Amino acid sequence: MKSTLALIRTTAGTSPVATALGLAVLAGLFLFPSFVKSPYTLHIMILFFLSTIQGEAWNIIGGYTGQYSIGHVAYFGAGAYTTMILMQYKQIPPWYGMLAGIGVALVVSLIIGSICFRLQGPYFVLASIAVAEIMRLSAINLKDITNGAEGILITEIPVFKIGNTVVTDFLSKVPFYYVGLVITLVTILVTWMVQNSKLGYYFQAIREDQDAAHSLGISLPLYKNIALALSAVFTSLSGSFYAIYIGYIDPSTVLNLDISVQIVLVCIIGGIGTIWGPVIGAMVLVPLSEALRSDLIAGMIFKTGLTSEGSAIGTFLKENLAHAHALIYGILVVVVILFMPDGVLGWVKKLTVQKGRG
Amino acid sequence: MATILEIKHVSKFFGGLAANSDVSFSLEEGMIMGMIGPNGAGKTTLFNCITGYYPPSRGEVIFKAQKISGLEPDRICRLGMVRTWQKVRPLAKLSVIDNVMVGALCRTNSLKTARELAMEQLKVVRMENKPDFPAGGLPIGEQKKLEVARALATQPQLLLLDEVMGGLNPAESDEIIQLILEIKKGGGITQMVIEHDMKAIMRISDRIVVINSGEKLAEGTPQEIVNNPEVVRAYLGDFHA
Ligand SMILES: Nc1ncnc2c1ncn2[C@@H]1O[C@H](COP(=O)(O)OP(=O)(O)OP(=O)(O)O)[C@@H](O)[C@H]1O
Ligand SMILES: [Mg+2]
Repeated sequence: MKSTLALIRTTAGTSPVATALGLAVLAGLFLFPSFVKSPYTLHIMILFFLSTIQGEAWNIIGGYTGQYSIGHVAYFGAGAYTTMILMQYKQIPPWYGMLAGIGVALVVSLIIGSICFRLQGPYFVLASIAVAEIMRLSAINLKDITNGAEGILITEIPVFKIGNTVVTDFLSKVPFYYVGLVITLVTILVTWMVQNSKLGYYFQAIREDQDAAHSLGISLPLYKNIALALSAVFTSLSGSFYAIYIGYIDPSTVLNLDISVQIVLVCIIGGIGTIWGPVIGAMVLVPLSEALRSDLIAGMIFKTGLTSEGSAIGTFLKENLAHAHALIYGILVVVVILFMPDGVLGWVKKLTVQKGRG
Repeated sequence: MATILEIKHVSKFFGGLAANSDVSFSLEEGMIMGMIGPNGAGKTTLFNCITGYYPPSRGEVIFKAQKISGLEPDRICRLGMVRTWQKVRPLAKLSVIDNVMVGALCRTNSLKTARELAMEQLKVVRMENKPDFPAGGLPIGEQKKLEVARALATQPQLLLLDEVMGGLNPAESDEIIQLILEIKKGGGITQMVIEHDMKAIMRISDRIVVINSGEKLAEGTPQEIVNNPEVVRAYLGDFHA
């Protein structure tokens, strides 16, 4: 027990052990589809990548800079819609659509930022929700562009070729797995680079004390805008990727406030303002939400024999548990805030330090 | 000697309250200007007006022959004027060295250079022995010194210190006095110092300005100030009572 804790502690720094472990995990992730063929497992991994990308992206503006956006679905939706509209109606391949999506998300973020970051106070939080809702309503009503509430269904993803060689035809989940993995790794790398640069110092200074930061030569609107723009870029990428992967979007899925909340939860649960926090948060939340969706939890309760499937309580659980994710997330957040104010990551760190001393 | 800072008829109103009214004086390069006045006199408010925390309601501030009133604090800092906060504002979750690095990054984009500059400043305030300690957990005396180190790391020409000795024990205060005198000896940095400790302010100041009820009551050498009957009545009298 003691040695595993010691191992966790040393991996927190950058020891040779940590490097070796990191490389092993990386190799494992790249080889994963060669060993695991189950489409459902690959699907869960892809959802985990999506969630990690979103968490890392939100972390830049929310975790490092301390500006809580509760409307990040706006950038997710911008990426998803731009990519899908271009692909379905203009026959523009999704890899260009992703770039266009980033462009749209950047414009949205700069509009929000340039208005809200001139003022201090809760304006940004409120505006972030408002803008997300405006985008959802626009997507419903601008039927000519977005196909309204019916949404957009992709009929065919163009084959990805380099020169004349076909790289992939996107018929299985494996290519999506690799695209997700690569975007995730890039997002983590960029976060790491931000943390270890002047930007990271300035973002955190703003989070810790705006007035102090301002007095030390930091332009608040400039650096908040940079943080939001960076965050929007990666959130938009996750939206584009989601849209192409699922193949169907509509306003109630890709512009739903629920997604904004989930993105924030990934960070809060894992540990805000840290590189690995969102990874951990996604590892907790993705399986949990899958379990909720697939009646797994009700099934488990029946197995324990606490109540049977036929009883009144059983029927109630079966019908409602799948829709109770908001409630369960709420409980989870309360538990995390009460017992792990720095998220799972902070909690584990504290535990290892205490055990190390004891 | 050249004038580095000119405060011209500065007033600041909060609703009906004139926290500063028609205050004018100037600072020569290299000097230490002491500022005294009873609680609520408007000293911190004047610092806030000078450093851009908020614009003065009336009047203007000239720094190095440039009008700065109306500019944002970050611009003013980059021009070479920095302040410390009476109520300390550590970047609590960041380490001691990271706090000072944030200041140093005002003049460089390289973390390596910033870290070296920050370490130098920590040595100046004699805190080089705990660079990795979280700033929020420091005792008040060290948080005050950290304020100074962080401000110095921005490489200012004008340093405004707002009650750095407030809440410190005599030994710590003495350390700060030495520090202020060292900064002066180093040359290149003009200082304006708000302090309630009369002995300290008499010792370090070249000139003193007295603020009372938002107005400038008197200005002069420490000797002139202690002998000014109005000051004695309004402030020192209070002080001894
Ligand atoms: N933001 C504000 N809004 C309203 N009133 C304010 C504000 N800031 C300061 N004041 C008021 O202005 C007056 C001057 O306050 P200030 O803090 O400048 O005094 P001070 O000379 O620094 O006092 P101390 O020695 O206690 O620090 C006080 O009456 C204070 O209550
Ligand atoms: Mg004050």
